[in-house]
Amino acid sequence: MNIKLTKNKLITTLSVVLLIGIWKLVSLSYGSELILPPPESTLVATLKLFIAENFIATVGLTILRGLIGFAVSFILGIGLGILAGGNRSFHAFLKPILVTLRSTPVISFILLALIWFRVDMVPIFIAFLTMFPFICTNVIDGIKNVDRDLVEMANIYRVPHHKIIQKVYLPAIVPFIFSGASSAMGFGWRAIIIGEVLSQPQFGIGTAMQTAQTYLLVNEVIAWTIIAIMISSFFEMLLRRVERKIVVWR
Amino acid sequence: MNLQIKKLYKSFDDIILFKDFDIDFSEHTISCILGPSGCGKTTLLNMISNTTQPDSGNFMGFNDKIISYIFQEPRLLPWKTVLENISFVLDDSLSKKEKDSIALKYSQLVELEKFNNYYPSKLSGGMKQRVAIARAFSYPSDIILMDEPLKALDLRLKMNLIKAFRRLWQMDKRTVIFVTHDIDEALLLGNDIYIFSKAPVEIKRKFVITEKERSLHAPSFLKLKNEIWEQMD
Repeated sequence: MNIKLTKNKLITTLSVVLLIGIWKLVSLSYGSELILPPPESTLVATLKLFIAENFIATVGLTILRGLIGFAVSFILGIGLGILAGGNRSFHAFLKPILVTLRSTPVISFILLALIWFRVDMVPIFIAFLTMFPFICTNVIDGIKNVDRDLVEMANIYRVPHHKIIQKVYLPAIVPFIFSGASSAMGFGWRAIIIGEVLSQPQFGIGTAMQTAQTYLLVNEVIAWTIIAIMISSFFEMLLRRVERKIVVWR
Repeated sequence: MNLQIKKLYKSFDDIILFKDFDIDFSEHTISCILGPSGCGKTTLLNMISNTTQPDSGNFMGFNDKIISYIFQEPRLLPWKTVLENISFVLDDSLSKKEKDSIALKYSQLVELEKFNNYYPSKLSGGMKQRVAIARAFSYPSDIILMDEPLKALDLRLKMNLIKAFRRLWQMDKRTVIFVTHDIDEALLLGNDIYIFSKAPVEIKRKFVITEKERSLHAPSFLKLKNEIWEQMD
């Protein structure tokens, strides 16, 4: 099994090397930093960003917006999800809202939010609208997937209702909450940055990308992209870690 | 007083399972119900445990009785360990310490004390069913209902579990109603054996086994087994 693992790692590394190789070749063929800078100058640009003025504010505020949006989505998603999972009428009421939210193009939200809200609020609002439906839908699915046999068992043994909710329903939906949170984060970070590009708050990765693009600093646009990917992967990893700590029974 | 069911009627869609059906169960006895699949054995247990309502009928002596149920599947909470699964059904008026000591006692009685902190996903099918048996006995019930709990297990495990079950049962001789379609299980476990017909159910015959020591190879048991065979459809 260990051999298989190292083999897979090797293939992954190979894929990354190939990607960078292609990038290098294409940039060589254009021969222009203005169109596609080579990987090494992009790397330098990325490192430079870390020590640039306002780096902490730029990245920190984007992360803060994401976390606020996530926290609101998380709390509302779980709360409303549990209500909808336990009550058919409320589910029927919530369903069209969720479907609408999920199928509306992110850009529509942004354009409307630009009209409705202060600049700072736009990315948070976008983060919420993209993340909330994922978490809520997953919680509803989780409740629908609770093993009825276990609930019946608990009822026969006269386990009180609140204990059934706490010890049977809640643990059963935990894995669903994590998978919902993970998809939500994946989409959320991207949506926030688009929101920032268009709303231009004072600090934010999106704002910085837009500025770099205006000055045709392609290497800086890619550098910010790399940082965005790093943020997204970091939180994905964090979620997996927390999940492994909580879902120990698998 | 015995437990009695009188004038029981129950149908599902067009299928009449019980029609003017009467049965008595002796208390502090293991009653086995042997019958073909789909004859309504499980439905009878579910009506006794109040999870299914009869169309009509009198259940006498059941009212104030507390019930444990051992299902076909173990029905353990995947996120709780062996001990936690047992103490899950215990009353919350007990302190955590009291619940733990009860759970510990019963996990020992089913010989799972080495696995107290294991999650069900790490246990074999037989071990899981033993946890379910420990849970049923640790619960202060008057009646234990069993719905073919040994169905999915191989013969050796079955014998093991039957032994474990009889050992536990000897301690306080609770009333047990045990449903199966396996004659050997009924012979090894039952005191009273009821042979059910196809639906609508009638009791074709009732056998009473008084021997304490059970062996499937003893001539008296082989004879009994044949007699039961002849009764079954």
